[in-house]
Amino acid sequence: MAETLYDRDLTCDVLVVGSEGAGGPTAINAARAGLDVLIASKGRMGRCGASQMAGADFNLDGRSAIALGLPGDERDSPERFFEDLVREGFFLGNQRMVEKYVEYAARNTADLLEWGMPVFRFEQVHAEEMARGIITSGVRWVRILRRKAREMGITVLEDTMVVDLLTREGRACGAVALDLRSGEVVLIKARSVVLCTGGWQQAYHFNSAAADLTGDGQAMAFRAGAEMIGMEMVQYIPMTMLWPPLARKSILPYIMMETEVGPLVQLLNGEGERFMQRYDPTTMEQSTKEIVAIASELEVEAGRGSPHGGVFFALKHLTPEGIDFVWGKFVEFLDQNGDKRSEFRKLLPHLLEMAKTEDLEVGNAVHFMVGGIKVDERTRTGVPGLYAAGECSGGLWGSVRVASATTQVGAQGRIAGETCPEYVGSVEHAEPERAQLEAVRERIMAPLERSDGARPIEVLERMYGITDEYLRVIRDGEGLQNAYDELNWLRRDEASRLHVTASRTRRLNREWHLCLELENMLLCLEMSALASLRREESRGGFYRSDFPYTDNDRWCVNAVISNRDGEPSLRLEKPVVTSMQLPSGRMTFEEAVASGTASLRRGEVEQP
Amino acid sequence: MTRPTIKVRCFRYDPETDAEPRFQEYQVPMEDGEMSVLDCLRHIREHLDPGLAFFAGCHLGFCQRCTLRVNGKVVLACETTAGGDMDLEPVNADEVIRDLWCGST
Repeated sequence: MAETLYDRDLTCDVLVVGSEGAGGPTAINAARAGLDVLIASKGRMGRCGASQMAGADFNLDGRSAIALGLPGDERDSPERFFEDLVREGFFLGNQRMVEKYVEYAARNTADLLEWGMPVFRFEQVHAEEMARGIITSGVRWVRILRRKAREMGITVLEDTMVVDLLTREGRACGAVALDLRSGEVVLIKARSVVLCTGGWQQAYHFNSAAADLTGDGQAMAFRAGAEMIGMEMVQYIPMTMLWPPLARKSILPYIMMETEVGPLVQLLNGEGERFMQRYDPTTMEQSTKEIVAIASELEVEAGRGSPHGGVFFALKHLTPEGIDFVWGKFVEFLDQNGDKRSEFRKLLPHLLEMAKTEDLEVGNAVHFMVGGIKVDERTRTGVPGLYAAGECSGGLWGSVRVASATTQVGAQGRIAGETCPEYVGSVEHAEPERAQLEAVRERIMAPLERSDGARPIEVLERMYGITDEYLRVIRDGEGLQNAYDELNWLRRDEASRLHVTASRTRRLNREWHLCLELENMLLCLEMSALASLRREESRGGFYRSDFPYTDNDRWCVNAVISNRDGEPSLRLEKPVVTSMQLPSGRMTFEEAVASGTASLRRGEVEQP
Repeated sequence: MTRPTIKVRCFRYDPETDAEPRFQEYQVPMEDGEMSVLDCLRHIREHLDPGLAFFAGCHLGFCQRCTLRVNGKVVLACETTAGGDMDLEPVNADEVIRDLWCGST
């Protein structure tokens, strides 16, 4: 029947879209349960996505750590970890999901240790007062997942972009993908689909992510009828290299701040002032990511920024000998762990050398998407047969991600791999509808076939213009309204008529892929702008200069976006509560800072 | 202020349509005075020739998929400074899918 609509077809029980931190464990666990699993990855497994670039740290509570033979803290417990996550996420997190995160954080760690992941160190990370973090290498982590997936014989379609999901009678029954190398359209029939596609960081000019992260999963889930949650909650990472260009987007200064060197670092504004003393005088530069990012941007807005629009990361006061000593300590640590990553081996010494004579220019990069596809504690979306795990999902963190994303993706991957077998066992393959296949094929091929229309590069630059100007750490109503209006227009009037201007080849035609990605990024941004505009308060990492306070009476609610005839439609929904009651009253920014860094302060009391 | 420009000669080849490979020359302005080879390639694709095929991934040496030859030497495009006029070629011309993108990278 539909032979002309695709070039190849494949059938599986579970299609996992994405191959890394979330996709790997999903596939491995589904295959363990005896399912026929297929991974489709936009890149190559172990060499794509966000996970490879992670520091990386994995979290689990101290008591569970001890049970795994790690030097955990006996005072800690899963309950205490849960409470910290809910409170420091400012209560928007789905508490059933947080409970699962804590439970599966330990199981995920046990899996990774069993599969051979090295532990460089076990320490305090993410501002906890107690050691809850395994420090390891992101590269080693993703290679371990790849090895495990290969051992289990899981098929991976590499350099393959899933473009849209297929549904039959409201449930997921497969997807249509584009093989980027050959340009072939691939039909994948599946009893269930798990999205593990990461964030949409590439919609922002200054981001710390890999090129793959273009919101494909969120956008295709939306088009298939799934809901989004917390799309306004975008995490920025301060202390990301702005200059020189070769180091741009590297978060090494932020990582340095998380090590023993951290307390020695000074963050200076353009006037040479240690500005953190005006925002968080107790914890200073060691404050949370969100607070340092907001403070840095307020300095830039006030005209006290660095030449390239950031602030200065200063080590000069340590003297050249002191900086050499710091590098020596890093080398010792890297050698001890056999860590060969070039960011540490090549870029770090280069930056430290520079830091002897000049302060490094650093800024806020878009780092992590806190919100995404709305799922429950078992990674189920509202579309039967469709699951989402890892960064592309939303609902876990509330308004700030205060613990490890690597743990989230691994934990949710395992949960998804354990959850879908039951569903898969209860359904038969459904034949895709011809009309849907035709529509997806038309969407894929149109940019190649149009002889005129919008130029992808111009749309990309307009999109960057909007995100650079309005969708920053500090937002306000007027800017958000402009962003929403412009994005809505770009998506509806421009992204719908994109055309490939240069080569018409179907093989490795990046301009063509960009057309498909632009539609996804613009949709994600528009949903993010819509939710940001609606939230008339500041909370966690979300900051509105026109509403600079946290309003628990009105806004301790989540923004949920659903698909109404193809357009995003927003409603508000109370967070899912299990054991911690939602707070009331208003907090000023200063009070919110105190609340967000409470465990840091507690740590200072406990460690004289 | 006029920005210095470098000459970048890129290997172009589409095994399906081209009888043999050729080199195409582009003039790339050195934005802000310092760029990586990968930044140059992105500049070419964004401003001069959207049809050029090469791989850009993590930009920081993790994925290692931007491996290519700069003046004959195999390097990562993301961590190599574009120092002057240069010839860019694929790691292995026999494996080219298109332009600078090889099957093995």
